[in-house]
Amino acid sequence: MTTALIILIGTIVTYVIYRASKVVYKKWPMPFFHPLLLCPLILIGIIQLSHLQPSDYALSSSLWTHMLGPATVAFAIPIYKHAPLLRKNIMIILTSIAAGTLVAIGSSLLLSLVMRFNGDLLISILPRSITTPIAIEVSKTIGGLPTLTTVFVIVTGVTGGIIGPYVIRLMALKSPVARGLALGMGAHGVGTNKAMEYGEQEGTFSTIGMIMAAAMTLIWGGLLIPSLLNITIL
Amino acid sequence: MVRKTITMLSQLAIIHVFYFAGVGLAHILSLPVPGSIVGLVLLLLSLFAGIVKLEWIEKAGGWLLAELLLFFVPSAVGILNYKEILNWQGLETVLLILISTFIVMAATGFTAEKLYRRKRKGGHTQ
Repeated sequence: MTTALIILIGTIVTYVIYRASKVVYKKWPMPFFHPLLLCPLILIGIIQLSHLQPSDYALSSSLWTHMLGPATVAFAIPIYKHAPLLRKNIMIILTSIAAGTLVAIGSSLLLSLVMRFNGDLLISILPRSITTPIAIEVSKTIGGLPTLTTVFVIVTGVTGGIIGPYVIRLMALKSPVARGLALGMGAHGVGTNKAMEYGEQEGTFSTIGMIMAAAMTLIWGGLLIPSLLNITIL
Repeated sequence: MVRKTITMLSQLAIIHVFYFAGVGLAHILSLPVPGSIVGLVLLLLSLFAGIVKLEWIEKAGGWLLAELLLFFVPSAVGILNYKEILNWQGLETVLLILISTFIVMAATGFTAEKLYRRKRKGGHTQ
């Protein structure tokens, strides 16, 4: 089979199963049916049954993976449309995300120590709550394994997309700024996708939360994390 | 239908121009930031400067953002490459991420909600 044909098949199969998963989730909105859980599980099943290599699938679906780049660029649209709203709330955004990023790194570190995780695993898990490309950068900076970090970022996204609405209800988050920032900070793009379901304002705050979280974690990765690791591991 | 497809594809092309410009710039200047984020900044600046009109990219941009989960699917399937974490420690890791994500969302949302209410109250008394 030619590469073009492989990509054509992979693109279509992935899309069809993704669409079907979305329909299922809409009809039965249970955590287990979340599209980012159900769709990959079905695909994994197909790959295993048909004795394909995971790398074959990665190649065949590379068009969709590629779209993550342009999609990140497209986040400029909600920011542009709601620039005045963001300017008005800039202090809330900066304070909440500063708190969020520190809690993300701190809680991951503490829980890793409690669960006795060792070097690579511990370091790679620290930048997990930010968007994949930047998480990889931070992971490299602090001496983690980028591929492992990617897995943790995905698991964070799936988890966050599922528990996000529960956190919002439990914490009685009423304002779009609080809802959006919680989702964008906690579960990067997947959280932002959820935030857009709440409304355009939630989506915008989530987008800016996700970007700020990435920027701040990039800074912590250079300054704070190395000294934290020195204290805790040595 | 044909017209819609052409609109969508040409808008996608414009967004790609910014994406590749961002990737190129990040590479040339060896920035510590991914090209897609540089592309985001470039597009944002172009929108503010009026070089790009919102209507030129809004349809395709809206589609990209709405279908974001689809673009994560291949990475999620990529977990297959890490069969070794599908053990007890893997389960522990998922538990860790669940607890931590819960705390992070709660802390972020709590801070924002408190500040928002305080700001609104302050606004009323002034």
